[in-house]
Amino acid sequence: MDKINVDHMLAIEEPFMKAPLEQLKRSLRQSQKLVERETQQVNSAISSMVNNHDNLSAAEVNKTLGELVERLQTLKRKLEEAKQEETQLIRRSKQRATDLNELSTFTSTTQPEFQRWCRTRMDRILIDYMLRNGNVETAERLIENSHLEHFADTSLFALVMSTERELREENSCRSALQWCVENRSALRKIQSTLEFELRLQEFIEMIRERKTPDAIAYAKKHLAAWSDTEMPRFQRAMTLLAFSPSTNCPPYKNMFDMSRWDHLAHQFRMVIFQLFDLPAQPLLHLLLQTGLSALKTPACVSADPTEHNRNCPVCHTETLGKLAKDLPLSHHVNSNLVCRITGDKMNEDNPPMRLPNGFVYSLNSLTDMAAKNDGKVKCPRSGQVFSFSDAKKLFIS
Amino acid sequence: MDSLIRNSDKLAKHHAGASQKSLNSLAQLISTLEQHTDPAQQQHAIAATTKQITEQLKDLYTNISKYGKLVEKTFKLDLTSIGSTFDHSSVLNESILLHFLREGDFATAQVFAREAQLELPSVRGQFEEMYQRVEEIRRHELTRAIEWAVDHHDRLDSLGIPLEFSLHRLRFLQLIEEGQVTEALAHAREWFPRFSAQSMAEIEHLMGIFIYSRRLPSSPYSPLFTEQRWEDIAHMFASAFCTLLGLSSMSPLTTAVGAGARALPIVCKVSSLLREKRLEWSQQNELPVEVPVPDEMRFHSVFACPVSKEQATEDNPPMMMPCGHVVCQVSLEKLAKGVRPGSIASGRFKCPYCPGLSVLSDAKRVYF
Ligand SMILES: [Zn+2]
Ligand SMILES: [Zn+2]
Ligand SMILES: [Zn+2]
Repeated sequence: MDKINVDHMLAIEEPFMKAPLEQLKRSLRQSQKLVERETQQVNSAISSMVNNHDNLSAAEVNKTLGELVERLQTLKRKLEEAKQEETQLIRRSKQRATDLNELSTFTSTTQPEFQRWCRTRMDRILIDYMLRNGNVETAERLIENSHLEHFADTSLFALVMSTERELREENSCRSALQWCVENRSALRKIQSTLEFELRLQEFIEMIRERKTPDAIAYAKKHLAAWSDTEMPRFQRAMTLLAFSPSTNCPPYKNMFDMSRWDHLAHQFRMVIFQLFDLPAQPLLHLLLQTGLSALKTPACVSADPTEHNRNCPVCHTETLGKLAKDLPLSHHVNSNLVCRITGDKMNEDNPPMRLPNGFVYSLNSLTDMAAKNDGKVKCPRSGQVFSFSDAKKLFIS
Repeated sequence: MDSLIRNSDKLAKHHAGASQKSLNSLAQLISTLEQHTDPAQQQHAIAATTKQITEQLKDLYTNISKYGKLVEKTFKLDLTSIGSTFDHSSVLNESILLHFLREGDFATAQVFAREAQLELPSVRGQFEEMYQRVEEIRRHELTRAIEWAVDHHDRLDSLGIPLEFSLHRLRFLQLIEEGQVTEALAHAREWFPRFSAQSMAEIEHLMGIFIYSRRLPSSPYSPLFTEQRWEDIAHMFASAFCTLLGLSSMSPLTTAVGAGARALPIVCKVSSLLREKRLEWSQQNELPVEVPVPDEMRFHSVFACPVSKEQATEDNPPMMMPCGHVVCQVSLEKLAKGVRPGSIASGRFKCPYCPGLSVLSDAKRVYF
C-alpha cells in the first residue's frame, strides 16, 4: 500500500488556487480606480457649478445634478456587478480548496475514492488544457460531465483567446490596448513592454498605409511617453518613417513583417498569465514531461518489442512514447524488479528466481506454473522448459 | 489546508460586509445629491464616501493578499522554474483523443476530434460493446454488464479483476434500495457464494443490511448508496474490458499524469538547482534524482548495482554469484581483481553481502 504524499499532490494545484485570487485583486483595483475617477468628476462638476452659479438657471442646475446622480447610479451598478463577480470568485476559491482537501481523507492510492479524485484531477487538467488551446466545446463538455464549473477560469481564458484572435486574424490592437490601459499599473510593476509593442504596431500600420502625418501625430501622443525606458527602440521606430514597407534593410524589414502580429498575440498571452500567476504552459504539459520522464527506462526505448509493457505509457511508441523521446530517463538508486509473468513486484516476499537460461521470474508465478504442469516451468521469453527445482533464488540487496 | 478553508469563509464574510457597506454609502451619497442640498455639503459627502469606499477596498485587498500568502504557504511550489517547451501538439492531441475513447466517453471524443481537427480512429467498432455497457451502467441498468462479466468469469478471475463481484454487489444494493428485499436475497444466494473465497468479509458485511432494509438512509450502510458508485463501476467495466482486449488496464494518459503529479514537485526543485549551473533538466540523459512512484506504476525491472549504485546496462549487465547475490559486471571484475584489501589469492573473492566465495567464471548473467 502506498502512502499519499498530500503536500506534493497539492503542490501542483497551486495555479488553480492562485488564479481566482489574482482576479479578485484585479477586480478590487478596478473598482478603486473607477470610484476615484467618477467621484472626482462629480466633485469638479459641482465646483464648476458653484463658480458659475450666477450664470446658471435653476433648470440648468437641476439638469446637471440629475446627470451627476445618473452618473453615480451607473457607478453603483458597476460596483454591484463587481461585488457579484468577487463573491463568485471567493466562493470558487473555497470550493477548490474544499475539493482538494478531500485528499487528506484518503489512506491508500488503491482506494476507489482516491482513484475518483484522480479522475477528477485529470478532467481539471484537461479543462485547463482545452481552455488554453481554445477547444471551448470540449472544455464545456468536461466541465459539465465532471461538475467542475468552479475549477474552470473560463472568462479569463476566453479573454485571452478573443484578444489573441483579434491580433492574429483581424490585425487589430483594440482589445489588447484596452486591456493594457486598464491594467497599466500592474504592467508597470512587472516592467512589461506590451503596451509599447502594441502602440508601435499601430504606428507601423499607419506607415504601411502611408499616412505619414497621422503616424507622426500618433508617435507624439503614444510613443514619446516610452522614450525614457525604450529610447533606442523609440528612435528606431521614428526612423521607420524613412523606409517603405518593401524595404530590405533588416531591422525595418522585420518591423513591417506581418508575423509581428503573432508575436504580439503570444506576448499578450504570456503577460496575462504572468499577471495572474499562471504557468506559461498548460499543467498537462508539465505533468506529462515530468511524469513520462519518471517512468522512462531503457526497456521502453529498446528496439526489442518484447521488452515493452502494454501498461507503460512510455512504451506506447506511437503516442505518449513519442512525447517522451527526448526526455531524460528515470533515475534509480535502488533496484525495482517486476515479474514479467504477473507484473508483480519481486521482493523478499515474492523473490526473483533465475531459470538456468538466465531469465528471471517471480517465485509466485513459477510456483503457480509448476503446480499446474507437474513441476515444470516454461520460460515465456525463450520457450524453454525447465524443472522448477532448477530455478535459483536471487538476493537483491 | 483546513485553516485555508476557514480563512476563505472569513474572507467571504468580510467581502460581503465591506462591499455592502460601500454600496450603502454610495446610495446615501446619491440621495444627498438628489435632495439638492448645499454644494459644499454635497462635496463634503462626496469626499467622505470616496474615503470610506477606498478604505473598504484597501482592507479587502490586504485580506486577499494575506489569504494569497496562506495559499502560497500551503501549495509551496514554483512552477515557473520549469519552463521548458513541449512541442508535440498533434501527438498530444491524439493521445488525449484516445484517452476519451478509452474512458468510454465517445461523445466528448467526437467533440474534441472536431475541434482539434483530428480523425476519429476506427476503434468505435472494437469499443462498441464497451460503450453500450458503460452507458447502461450510467443509466443504472446492470443486466447486460453482469452477463458480460459472467461470460468472462475465468479470464477476469485469472487477472485478479474483481469486476464480476463488484457488479453483483451493486445489483444487490440496487435491489435493496428499491425495496425488493426478496429479490435481493435471491440474488445474493445465486451469486455471492461463488466469491466466498476472496470476498467473504465483504459478503458478511453486505448481508447485515437486511436488518436495516426499511431505514437505509439512517443506517450505517447509507455511505454505500452514493451516486458516484455507478460512475466507479462504469470505469471499472471500461478498464476490465480494455484489459481483456489486450490494451493497457488504465488509460496511458491517466498513468502518465499520475506519475507526473509525483514527479513535478521533485523535478521543479531539481530544475531550479540545475538552472543555477545553467543546465536544463529536460536536456539531461537521466533525471538527477529518483522519483518515487507506487508499485502499480513500475512497469519494467530496473537493476541498480548495490556496490556501484549504478543502473545495469547491456554493456555492464547484472551478474549472479554462486551465493545468489547480484552485482554489476564492472563491480564483479573489481572484486575479482582484489581491489579490496583482504581479497584471497587464486582469484577467489568473498561476496560483499555474505560469506560466500566465488571466482569470476562462476558468475552468471541474469535477465530481469
Ligand atoms: Zn516502458
Ligand atoms: Zn556495480
Ligand atoms: Zn552473497
